[in-house]
Amino acid sequence: MPSRYDWVIWTVFWSGLALTALFVGGPVLDALWLSLHQASSFIAEPRFVGLANYGRVVVDPEFWRAMGNGLFYALTSIGLQVVLGIAFALVLNQTFPAQRLVRGLATLPYLLPTVVVALTFQWLSDGSVGLVTVLMRDLGFGTIPWFEQPWTARMSVVLASVWLWTPFVTICVLAGLQTIPPALYEAARVDGAGPVALFWHVTLPQLKPVLTVVVLLRGIWMFNKFDIIWLLTKGGPLGATEHLPIMAYKRAFSLFDVGGGAAVATLSFLMLSIVVTIYLRLFPLEEKR
Amino acid sequence: MRRSASARIGIGFAAFAISAWSFFPIYWMIVSSLRSQQELFTRPTLLPSSFSLESYQQLLEVTDYPQQFRNSIVVALAVVAITLVASIIIAYAVTRFRVPFKLMIVGSMLYAYMFPPMLLAIPLYGIFVSLGIADSLLALVIAHCTLTLPLGVWLLWGFFKSMPFELEEAAMVDGCTRLGSFVRVVLPLSLPGIVTVAIFAFLLSWTDYTYALVMISSDTQKTLPVGLASMVGSFELRWGEVMAGATLIALPLFLIFTLLSRYFIQGLAAGATKG
Repeated sequence: MPSRYDWVIWTVFWSGLALTALFVGGPVLDALWLSLHQASSFIAEPRFVGLANYGRVVVDPEFWRAMGNGLFYALTSIGLQVVLGIAFALVLNQTFPAQRLVRGLATLPYLLPTVVVALTFQWLSDGSVGLVTVLMRDLGFGTIPWFEQPWTARMSVVLASVWLWTPFVTICVLAGLQTIPPALYEAARVDGAGPVALFWHVTLPQLKPVLTVVVLLRGIWMFNKFDIIWLLTKGGPLGATEHLPIMAYKRAFSLFDVGGGAAVATLSFLMLSIVVTIYLRLFPLEEKR
Repeated sequence: MRRSASARIGIGFAAFAISAWSFFPIYWMIVSSLRSQQELFTRPTLLPSSFSLESYQQLLEVTDYPQQFRNSIVVALAVVAITLVASIIIAYAVTRFRVPFKLMIVGSMLYAYMFPPMLLAIPLYGIFVSLGIADSLLALVIAHCTLTLPLGVWLLWGFFKSMPFELEEAAMVDGCTRLGSFVRVVLPLSLPGIVTVAIFAFLLSWTDYTYALVMISSDTQKTLPVGLASMVGSFELRWGEVMAGATLIALPLFLIFTLLSRYFIQGLAAGATKG
């Protein structure tokens, strides 16, 4: 039904859409353009070099190490988040006193800005008076240099990420648990299923649609995550926690290799798109309702 | 179903463990910010033996924190306003008009979910440098909108899609213009969705570190996350002040969560975050 004021909405709509395209699409196209150019800073005149930046990046062993670090970080932190998140949700789905309070507390970490989490974890593991440091010393482990050795640094980054982002999985799985019809459990119990069998044969299959989405989203985010690693280790020690986002940042903003940074960012996006496409083939998202 | 005593104790214990795991670092942050400076540098005790606002006083009087707090507020509110106006109109038009490439528009919004932060930040910074607005709050507002706009359109699209068109038609039959029916019927009914978008736009902007790190370099233009992070390692480490600053950043978020948790959970379920 046409209306006199349609043109107002139309004008605003197209200008809004154009603005969004400009805001989001513009930079991405510009990144592609930059990745084909060589520029020694953001004010220097870029020189067209074709695919040379990509060639340079792909033969760089640092790129493949960053790729490996990123995969390790993403896979371990997603795995732990999903396992812990399901476990937490199973507990929170029971009835117990102060259930609402505990559910609220379990959500809190997810609200915190990454900076707050990174600083609090650094304070907890402060080399001289950090609580964890003191506890470890009392227990006889000595002073553990959390962020100075490759493997402890990797584990610390994973631990902080798991603490911060598990609530997302908990909340989604909890919502999923509440949609499972109780009749399913009763039927399985009549057939003599114990708690473990109930979990494997009723709960998990029923959670599959939720988990498919949760793993996809968490996977995308953990692969792209920049801030927590940068804040905790800056990619160190000796590049042990440097993954593709950090590599792209360092190239563009510390080494002033703008084209190289853009090439790393573009390549990591391409790889992510390929993995996501394969994932969606393997686990098609079921249309709700 | 009745449970045995041992099962109840087990669940109670698990619930306690979850609470402790989730809340302890937050507790430690708050408690550390309220200790006196001397007590911070002695052997830590679980319960504070003294209470002092020294750290807060130092933070607010000596550092750029108050200025950075203002910067954060200004940026977050601007981002919320722009996101709401633009995404409401785009989402409404996509669901109510015959828009060409409708699915492509909405699909591309979802695609924006996958962009690595540097894929946007590197070119954006270059663009801002050539426009002469690098290192300004305006640059940061634009950068944040690249995150919040796709999210807002995606969320509101879901809302408007499920709202029956007949309601507006009825209003229009009764003599409302389209604009009138939009303002009097659509907006009030989709208020939950709009509140959700506002919350998440605020959350993204308020907590963002990555874009602010790239865009802003001068101390007076920094927003809280970057300002606070640069306190660590700049001069001698003052953990009391750092924890006070961290607590003050988290406080508004806790308030929003307690007051509006319904919208928060709803938004999460619709995939409203990016992190």
